[in-house]
Amino acid sequence: MASSSGNDDDLTIPRAAINKMIKETLPNVRVANDARELVVNCCTEFIHLVSSEANEICNKSEKKTISPEHVINALESLGFGSYIAEVKDVLQECKTVALKRRKASSRLENLGIPEEELLRQQQELFAKARQQQAELAQQEWLQMQQAAQQAQLAAASASSTQQAGSSQDEDEEDDM
Amino acid sequence: MEETVDQAANSRTISLPISRVRLIMKSSPDVSCINQDALFLTTKATELFVQHLALSSYENGPSKDTNTLSYSDLADTVEETETFQFLTDILPKKILARDYLKTLEEMEKEDDNM
Repeated sequence: MASSSGNDDDLTIPRAAINKMIKETLPNVRVANDARELVVNCCTEFIHLVSSEANEICNKSEKKTISPEHVINALESLGFGSYIAEVKDVLQECKTVALKRRKASSRLENLGIPEEELLRQQQELFAKARQQQAELAQQEWLQMQQAAQQAQLAAASASSTQQAGSSQDEDEEDDM
Repeated sequence: MEETVDQAANSRTISLPISRVRLIMKSSPDVSCINQDALFLTTKATELFVQHLALSSYENGPSKDTNTLSYSDLADTVEETETFQFLTDILPKKILARDYLKTLEEMEKEDDNM
């Protein structure tokens, strides 16, 4: 969005932004191109008007920086007092948004715990994780061994029961 | 600080580019330092101004019936509304084509007579 023109006075609000605002304010209305161009220029003029007035008010108050109060007083004295309420609301909203963002990032960054402590906790967690991994691996190994043993036993008993199988059947028949 | 500015713009409370507004303000003679909040206020006020100007011009204009907004609607509103009169300097008064042609004709007649 760098301005290619060297002349400061040629600075205007981008046409697209103005078009969008006009569209939202007057939906379904056809707006002539030269009318749009005029609105763009009126914007610049308005900003100059408010800045100059606010600047004068600022100078009188012997402050160096134009404050929100100065702008609000400028709007009032220029006849745009009807804008003040809504403009103040937006300022409040902007501040709230900014505050939330700052809180959120500081919550993540800090949690009120110093960095060395956080590092120590991290090391602890890593060590714990490694240990758990090792235990798990050991358990699996044991289970595999047991399963192998059981398979062996099962195979062994299967062959022995086959031999004893016939006598067992006779006994069962008598009992029934 | 820039992040806050972008955040404000994205939060749908302000549509105009705040950085551009700052540039325009700084190009005003004698304006030096502007507080960030003052910048927000000015940007929002400019948005309200655009809406105000467009709406007034449309409502008061004859083109309302045809659902159009013309240059002359804006020019008329500026002339008739006290708070918009600071804009008269940047409004070149548009001459109707036939009036211009008439003026041309008259000038030519003078030349012929000379």
